[in-house]
Parts: sequence; structure tokens; C-alpha cells
Amino acid sequence: MRKIEDVMYQTNAPDGVNPDNVFFVQVDATKCEACGTCEEVCATGAIQSINEDGIHQVVDTSACMNCGQCLVNCPYGAIYEGVSFVDEVFEKLRDPDTVVVSMPAPAVRYGLGECFGKPTGTYVGPQMHAALRQLGFDYIWDNEFSADVTIMEEGTELINRVKNAGKKGTLPLPQFTSCCPGWMKFVETFHPELLPHVSTCKSPIGMLGSLAKTYGAHETGTPAKKMYTVSIMPCIAKKYEGMREEMADSGYRDIDATINTRELAYMIKKAGINFNSLKGEDPDPVLGESTGAATIFGTSGGVMEAALRLAYEVLSGKKLDNPDIKVVRTHEGINSADVKVPGFGTVKVAVASGLANANKLCEEVKSGKSPYHFIEIMACPGGCVNGGGQPLDPDVLASLFKSTVARINRRFRARRPQA
Amino acid sequence: MSIGKINRRGFIKACGVMAGYAVLTANMTKEAVAAAMEFVGLRQAQVYHADAKIYKIRKSQDNPMIKKLYDKKHGFLHEGPCGHMSHRLLHTDYTDRSARVSALKENGFKLKI
Repeated sequence: MRKIEDVMYQTNAPDGVNPDNVFFVQVDATKCEACGTCEEVCATGAIQSINEDGIHQVVDTSACMNCGQCLVNCPYGAIYEGVSFVDEVFEKLRDPDTVVVSMPAPAVRYGLGECFGKPTGTYVGPQMHAALRQLGFDYIWDNEFSADVTIMEEGTELINRVKNAGKKGTLPLPQFTSCCPGWMKFVETFHPELLPHVSTCKSPIGMLGSLAKTYGAHETGTPAKKMYTVSIMPCIAKKYEGMREEMADSGYRDIDATINTRELAYMIKKAGINFNSLKGEDPDPVLGESTGAATIFGTSGGVMEAALRLAYEVLSGKKLDNPDIKVVRTHEGINSADVKVPGFGTVKVAVASGLANANKLCEEVKSGKSPYHFIEIMACPGGCVNGGGQPLDPDVLASLFKSTVARINRRFRARRPQA
Repeated sequence: MSIGKINRRGFIKACGVMAGYAVLTANMTKEAVAAAMEFVGLRQAQVYHADAKIYKIRKSQDNPMIKKLYDKKHGFLHEGPCGHMSHRLLHTDYTDRSARVSALKENGFKLKI
């Protein structure tokens, strides 16, 4: 076990293992104080009390969506990660025969700075690219590029479903997004009958993995077999996604390793890089450039807004002058909106973050009462910026624990009979 | 102190502490979740700020590298989005994973869903 940015990790990088059998998060029974916070934030009930003392455990891997909300909300730091590719990535970075490719997600650049003392949410995209270059990554490619690809693919799929609705052989409406790996395991596990409603698109990282070893290999003249792709995510469930058996469409494993924001911060510190003095740098061309539509994938409602920026122009044939579609921006719960597209009509959309909310929308679709064309789901409340792999909210660990103890002591003192 | 030796006052004291934890932690969870969402809101605000102020191009279809990728003549995905190559590399199939959870429930595990 190793401590990385206040979270314990097992330094275990499984190879060729079925991710369905891996505990990506688990409770350290010696640190669990039986407060039940994890059970309350868990949407599925995978984490629960296992004995009279109220000690909690993830009872079975099949019920756990690997979202890590239990971990980021545990006030006692009792929940650890079961998988870490950090040592393997360091090894590959040192190997001159391996071409190591970076693939950071949008939300990483809004969390990483916090590990270096910057205010919550500080955007550190260019510094992140510079740090990756200093760490020795050979290609600084970016998952935001493939977020743009996702919009092209998923937006086109939505337009096809809407245009051909009711025709034979057309996939049904509403279309659900497929970017979030916690949500994907959730729908496969709890609502498999809804799978035809889920976009057939891979998530942006699934796309970048296969594009890097085909298109990227071709563009740079690099043999794909020498490439080692590192997915860098605000997320724990992405480790599961990277290990999915079918993610091998490039002819190799599309994603060789997955680390999260905390682990990247650890690597930067371990390598002795002074993050705060780095001058911002651009990513490498062809699979590095991105847009505002891509960066908003990091927040709940972002995929929806980015897709609508495309769908509006394709369906109406007109230019969308103001790309802000603020009605779909979602902080908590479920948000729905009607978006008027000239020459087409109304596109009805819903955005949900948190799997309990997702479940409500799933039940609605099953009952045939869903009025929507397009539904975005993110497993973590607020979206990826609040992912299970992001730096912890310092208040969760510090003030919650201290204030709970202080309150109990106060209450207890007040009740104590005067001697 | 073992439970055998506990006196009456000690027992009541222990009950009081346990009840206190039970009541307070339930409330604290709600408070903590609310506070955490404020923290998340700060990060979300920065995302929209960057979209509006830092990124020069704001629509995926306007990204020059996307145009290059889907170029009708020389693009790697020249058939366009959802074309043949896209389906090979960028789309996927899903798996019904409900069996293990059904088995869990049959074995008496209570889940929320």
C-alpha cells in the first residue's frame, strides 16, 4: 500500500485479468469508523455494513460501479484503491524502446492544480502538458481531441436516430450518452434491456486509444506495437473501462494503463518537477488540439451542450451564433430542457448526474413515458470534475471529522451529571 | 474495560455516546454532501470559464484537426462520422451484466436497485 494525495493505493497493475473480478475500491476495515457515509452516497448498495460493529465493505464487485464516490466522501480516509499503474508507467517512461503516449481527460486539468496548492478548480491545461513532456511522455496527445471526435460520432448518431425515428432497423429514442464508465457498467448491470438506447459510441478515451495506435501511429510513423497508451482520468471507473476485453480494436490493447488525477500529481512530485514554475505548453499536433466543446465534457451537462452545438447546425443548416446553451448545465439532480432548432422543431433533452437520478430516468424510459430525444448521464454528482479520482475536498477529511467529534464531546459534556 | 465489568453509569454513558454518533453522523452526512457540492460548483464554474475565455474554438466541428480527420478526400475517416472505419474503431457493443447481481440478490443480498 502507498499513500497518494491522501488516498491509499494497492500498487497492483493487473494484466489480462477480467475487470469484473477486481475490487477497484475497498474499505480498510481497521480504519472504518462505521459512520455509514459510504453507504449513503452509494447508489447501488454495493458497499454496506458486514457485521454488528457496522464495519463496511464493498460486498461484491458485480454491484460496484467503481465510481469512487464512497472514497471521496469517506471522512476517515478508510477507502483505498485496488489498482494502480503508476509503477508500470514509470518503468515504460524509462524504457527507450517504448513510445509512451499521454491521454489526459478534460476534468484532470481542473483538479490537478489543487495538488500543488492552487485554488479549487484552477485551470492548469498548458502546465499539465508541460509536466507530461517533462515526465518523458513521447506524444502529448489529449483526450479532449477525442471528445471532439465523440461529438462528431455521437451527434451524428443522434441526428440519424431522430431523422429516421420509427423506421425499421433504426435504433430507438431516447439516446443515452456512453461517455461515463460508471454509468455504462450500471446500465449493463441493472437495465440491460435499455442497451439499444445507449449510443454505440465508445467513450472519448476508448476512441483515443484505438485512434492513437492506428491514425496516430500512421501520422507519426511510429510502429503501433511500440506504443504504450496512458489514459489519465479524474475517475476510478476508467480503470475498469481500460481493462474491458473488447477494447482492442487497434490490433493491440487500445489502452495500456489508466491512472487518475491524484496519481498524476504523485508522479509529477516524485519526478521532482516544480509544477508551479512550469511555463504552459501546447499538446502535440493531430491528436492534441481541442475546443471549448471538448473541455466542457468535464462537467455535468457538458456532453449534451457540446452535442447540441453540432446538432443545431446540422439539423437547421444554420450557424449557431452563441454556443452557450446554458439550460442544460447541471449542478445536481435531473435537468430537462426543450431546445428549439429552426427548421426542425424541438429537441427534448435531459441531463442527470448521480446514479440514483440515472435510475429514475431509466425507469421512465422502460415505462414508455420518456419524452426525451437525448439523455446525458454522469455517475458522479456534478460530472467528472467531481470524479472518484480527483483530489479530495480538504473539508471532507478535516472539518467533518473534527466537527463531528467536537459536537459529540460538547453534547456529552452537557449531559454529564455535575460532580 | 470489558463489558462484564461495566457499571450502570458507564453503560448509560456508552449508550449516550453511541446514540450521539448515530444521530450526528446522519445529519453530518447531509451537511457534508451539501458542502462538497459547493466545492464541485467551483470546479464547474472554471470549466465554463475556460470554454468561454480560453478556448479559441468552441464547436467540435470547427476544430481544424477534426476537419483533417474527416476530410472527404484524404481524411483517415473520409467516409464521415458513423462510417465504416468509425464503426470498426470508434463504436462498440455492450454486454448484459445482470446475471451476477441477480444471483447476489437470490443469495439474500439487499441492494438499493
